[in-house]
Amino acid sequence: MMMMSLAGLRKGGGDSKYFSTTKKGEMHELKEELNDQKADRRKEAVKKVIAAMTVGKDVSQLFPDMLNCMQTANVELKKLVYLYLINYAKSAPDVAILAVNCFRRDANDQNPLIRALAIRTMGCIRVEKITEYLCDPLRRSLSDDDPYVRKTAAICVAKLYDINPELAEEQGFLELLHDLISDSNPTVVANAVAALSEIASFSVDGSKVFAVSGSVLSKLLAALAECSEWSQVFILDALATYQPSSAREAESIVERVSPRLQHSNSAVVMSAVKIIVKYVDLIESQETVKSLTRKLSPPLVTLLSAEPEIQYVALRNINLIVQKRPSILANDVRVFFCRYTDPIYVKMEKLQILVKLATDRNAEQVLLELKEYATEIDIDFVKSSVRAIGRVAIKLERSAERCINVLLDLIKTKVNYVVQEAIIVISYIFRRFPNRYESIIATLCENLETLDEPEAKAAMIWIVGEYAERIDNADELLETFMDAFQDETADVQLQLLTATVKLFLKRPDGAKEIMESVLSMATESSDNPDLRDRGYIYWRLLSTDPEAAKRVVLSDKPVIVDDSSQLEPALLDLLVENIATLASIYHKPPSAFVKRTRIPLGSGMRDDDDDDVGLESSDDDDDDDDSDDSDDEGRGKKKKQQQQDDSEDLLGFGGLSVSGGNGGGSGSDDLLGGFDAPSMGAPASSAPLTSRLSPAAAEGLQLDADFARRNGSIYLDLDFSNVSSQTPFGKFAIQFNKNTFALAPSSVNVDLGTSLMQGGPKSRFSVPIVTRPEMAQPGVAPNLVIDVALKNVAVGAINYFKVTLPFYVLFTEQGRADKKGFIDSWKTLGDAKGQAATLRGLVSTQMDAVVSLLEQHNIFHIATRNPAADQRVGYFSSKTTTGAMVLAEITFKDGHDACKVNLRCEVSQVLPFAHEAFQRLLVK
Amino acid sequence: MFSVSQFYILSPRGDTIISRNFRSDVDKGTAEVFFHSVKFWKGDGGNEAPPCFNIDGVNYIFIKQSGLYFVCTTKYNVSPNFALELLARLAKLFKDYCGVLSEEAIRKNFVLIYELLDEVLDYGYPMVSSTEQLKVHVHNEPVMVDMIKQANSFKMPTMNQKTTPSSSVYKPVTLAAKSGQQRNEIFVDILERLTMLFNGNGYTLSSHIDGSIVMKSYLSGNPPLRLALNEDLVVGKGSEAANYGGSVVLDDCNFHECVRLDDFESMRLLNFVPPDGEFVLMNYRITSDFVAPFRIYPHVEENSSTQIEIVVKIRADLPQNNFGVNVQATMPVPTRSNGVSSRLDSGAAAAGQTAEYRAKDHKVVWTIKKFQGGAEHTLRAKVDLKEPMSPAIRREIGPISLSFEIPMFNASQLQVKYLRIVEQHRTYNPHRWVRYVSQSASYVSRFSTN
Repeated sequence: MMMMSLAGLRKGGGDSKYFSTTKKGEMHELKEELNDQKADRRKEAVKKVIAAMTVGKDVSQLFPDMLNCMQTANVELKKLVYLYLINYAKSAPDVAILAVNCFRRDANDQNPLIRALAIRTMGCIRVEKITEYLCDPLRRSLSDDDPYVRKTAAICVAKLYDINPELAEEQGFLELLHDLISDSNPTVVANAVAALSEIASFSVDGSKVFAVSGSVLSKLLAALAECSEWSQVFILDALATYQPSSAREAESIVERVSPRLQHSNSAVVMSAVKIIVKYVDLIESQETVKSLTRKLSPPLVTLLSAEPEIQYVALRNINLIVQKRPSILANDVRVFFCRYTDPIYVKMEKLQILVKLATDRNAEQVLLELKEYATEIDIDFVKSSVRAIGRVAIKLERSAERCINVLLDLIKTKVNYVVQEAIIVISYIFRRFPNRYESIIATLCENLETLDEPEAKAAMIWIVGEYAERIDNADELLETFMDAFQDETADVQLQLLTATVKLFLKRPDGAKEIMESVLSMATESSDNPDLRDRGYIYWRLLSTDPEAAKRVVLSDKPVIVDDSSQLEPALLDLLVENIATLASIYHKPPSAFVKRTRIPLGSGMRDDDDDDVGLESSDDDDDDDDSDDSDDEGRGKKKKQQQQDDSEDLLGFGGLSVSGGNGGGSGSDDLLGGFDAPSMGAPASSAPLTSRLSPAAAEGLQLDADFARRNGSIYLDLDFSNVSSQTPFGKFAIQFNKNTFALAPSSVNVDLGTSLMQGGPKSRFSVPIVTRPEMAQPGVAPNLVIDVALKNVAVGAINYFKVTLPFYVLFTEQGRADKKGFIDSWKTLGDAKGQAATLRGLVSTQMDAVVSLLEQHNIFHIATRNPAADQRVGYFSSKTTTGAMVLAEITFKDGHDACKVNLRCEVSQVLPFAHEAFQRLLVK
Repeated sequence: MFSVSQFYILSPRGDTIISRNFRSDVDKGTAEVFFHSVKFWKGDGGNEAPPCFNIDGVNYIFIKQSGLYFVCTTKYNVSPNFALELLARLAKLFKDYCGVLSEEAIRKNFVLIYELLDEVLDYGYPMVSSTEQLKVHVHNEPVMVDMIKQANSFKMPTMNQKTTPSSSVYKPVTLAAKSGQQRNEIFVDILERLTMLFNGNGYTLSSHIDGSIVMKSYLSGNPPLRLALNEDLVVGKGSEAANYGGSVVLDDCNFHECVRLDDFESMRLLNFVPPDGEFVLMNYRITSDFVAPFRIYPHVEENSSTQIEIVVKIRADLPQNNFGVNVQATMPVPTRSNGVSSRLDSGAAAAGQTAEYRAKDHKVVWTIKKFQGGAEHTLRAKVDLKEPMSPAIRREIGPISLSFEIPMFNASQLQVKYLRIVEQHRTYNPHRWVRYVSQSASYVSRFSTN
């Protein structure tokens, strides 16, 4: 019906004609046309505006005229105007508000398509005022009679959450979304699942927002069978997060999921594969496991017949799957043979998998293939193929000889880069299987002159050195390299040096001369420290004890294995969990490349380039893992501790060591004190310390002291000065009373190394602090005060003073939580384990300054978000020496010299101390 | 997480033709970053960019069709299959709606494309992607582009004109809907792509068939259809039934989501309501033995120390009434050669055979326009070498790869027994065009290595 009325449009020369207007006064003309009486002309004009917009012209001044055109029953026209609105509403929020009425009318239209269109478009307009008007129509749409409107509304909730999470939560939209999981229409269910999954991934309370429970599970499984391909993917991915409670349940889910393996959409297939691979681990019956793994292989192989892009993705995943479960594709090695038409990235992946699937049974077949590849044109591929032959040899002892023969065939081709690669590979095989194939050395030596790649040269020289006693002219061979010794790369030089020494040790007669010349070149005319050092070591070894030299240089070497393509088990497990995601393509954990997962951004408009907003995940994932582990460990220990000590040791601090404790030698400590890392704050020698003892009370000694943390250890910094003592002093003894944190000086002696004269300069000494279990102080309320006794040896007086421990010195360098860990812990702890306070009169209200300040004290910045235009919230983590994780949320509001600090910690007794620490750091 | 941030179509020169931002969480300017990276790719897998990569925290996923780049970006750990399928689906949709997929067609129809994009993707999530369902939502009309010129962008680029049933395959679905009288027809293609690898003695090293049943429906009212395959069809190699001879054994197959498989197990019937436009009803894969349509016998003779003669004989093991078209054999010859002179069978030139030496690529290309079943053709290429024959030179010869298309022939013997409209009225008698095509995917013969 609508189409008929548009018939007039078709006679034109296509949409590209709209681009042709270049006359002056174009805007004016458009304005007139937009206000034309005839609907057709208005539509033409709108199209011209859209055309101008897409090529980047600024047509924002037409906003009011475009708004006029919005009030039309013509859906096509309406859609075009909506497109315009989405583009320009941000730049003209005040005018955009005029569209609200029209949107609200459309949201109540009789036609469900128009209702859905209005909701969809409003969600895309990121203008705060319009968002406010979105809530009512959105709530209605979520219970609309028409499923098309409901499914559009479900996605719209995700949009709203992105713009203003608080609003979305307050208005109860998340609950409404949950209700949609029980919807009668499977597509609505799927969209609700997609929206909830997204919100959960951005939310601090992810698992609260959405977790697949038993009841949800059955609904999802029911919807799965009936919905469209994309919906199936949404649902399968949500199912993959479910943890089956029993083997039987896992089995029944797999049974429901496995028909998806026959879908023509590879995304559905891969998501199904992911679930099955994950659940197979839980299934006990070996029979079932066997039949499941048998089911997995045909669909995976079928993916290799798809477009090269799909093949590549499939191959990267298969690479993981065969490492995890080699049996799945054990009999399909032939499908990984390269086709001549395969793109290079597919070929390279196939090579990897061929090596992984190679067994003694199929080795002959695989080797014949690899040999063929070694004659292809692409040099990179040829080299990789030759390497693959070597990897097969190292992996399969019984087939190693076959590999050697293939490599010899390749060397006979005399194709330069093939020969070099083959020699490199053969050196590895020699290393793996010593004294087995040395009969081929003669053939290798024939190619000595053609070698020009350093790696190949180094490999050949290594072989000559290793088998020097069996190569008659080994000395001559090595000599050929000596002339150009200075021009060789470091690797080649090192190999030459070692090979010559080996030659000398094996056949001392005649090799002395050449060895001496090498040693002198290595030690005297080289400026490469590695080479020089190795040269000197050999030299000294040979001159002091030639027998020892033999034992060292000619010792048996440990067996090598090929792990070049093998992933760490932990990483492999993580990646298998992430099958069918980009992580499985990159073979990197998601945290390594998802640089920021957005924490909701608040109600303000968002700029396109707000780079400073959002969670910065830590780059180094290993670190994250470490800290997580030690965190868990810490908690575990602490729990045990609590059980043992009843309530005596409330904090559970007893018996745990402070990390570090930088050696006991007091002399060197002073030195170390001078090497302060800049990140550890003010240098120890210059920061003024708090006065603890005055000359009047302490026999002329003025003592200032404070705790500080540097280089991973706690120190008690002491400033001594002799104000009024006749007796010069320089030796002290120090002791702590029992205290909450079981701290003690690492050594009793404090030797300043000089004697302080009356009126002389003050002297700084830093006492490293350690924890000693026996220093714990059960039965006393936890506190931060440390009682210190100081004996002035020269004077013979003992003085007592108190130092309050700043809690932050207990924060360790390992306190950086990874983003996900943070979010998880934050959620788990909840308000019950939290405590909030407001701090006023701050050092700074700038987030950047605060971040760098806190980072100096091992309070690590996790993320920042802007929930509102005038609000900034920073998230931080830290960990005490006792393993208690302290998580912090600090909120600043523009125009207020104050911040709200919300802390959460498993050990609630820590909270007041932690608050005090934040106060000391942040308040002036 | 299944949503993309941006989508764009780039021309082969890197111009942005279409660009749509769905979530505004990825910066502008990524199109340039993408194009530059792909053009100057350097990775451990050679210089061809893989379909997914990450630069500065932005993930790029792309496919190339008809010379155009279809790209999407995201910051999240999405499923790459999902993104690739989505891109392929968009390309197919644009083709269905514009009639052809080409830079010109997309430029001329950009408003339509944007409208389609907005209906397919909401907030970067795919909603509907079937041509049929989208019709309700899409209002813009396609602008036709010159079909003859664009004809070669059809999915089977080497398709011989004789085997192409009608120009209606280039017809946008929405226009077809309005020209009522042409409407009632449905095209069924049984398309098989053959992968074969022979060693120098003509022995088959590996072989398989990737087959698909592709349909393009212009049936009014979208009636339910029933399609019957060979009754003795066996699915699953190694199953018991596969051991009985004579039957077609599929290793694996998958189906379009419109297919109901209730009668598949028992009667090999597929019931479905065809969606509009082109769609793949079924994909299948066969590795069991089948008769190779062409056999290649290569062989090298050393006439003198600096002259060799490469003799290639190809035989068509096809029924007499079938023939291969556009058969082309490509064979690398040694780089260190002064020249190549080729000799064909007598009368070959008249039969449309040519042999050409491409000195730049060091290749001999032998073309046979029509290769009748049962026939046998021979090429003799004399190569004058710059230096005496050696193993290194020897290795540069071959392998021979063959490309061809065989109309009305399928190597697998899989057959469409019938295609019926389930509730047929007398007045409703659509045209059903069924055709079989076998094509080469990778059809290669090595030279014997001795």
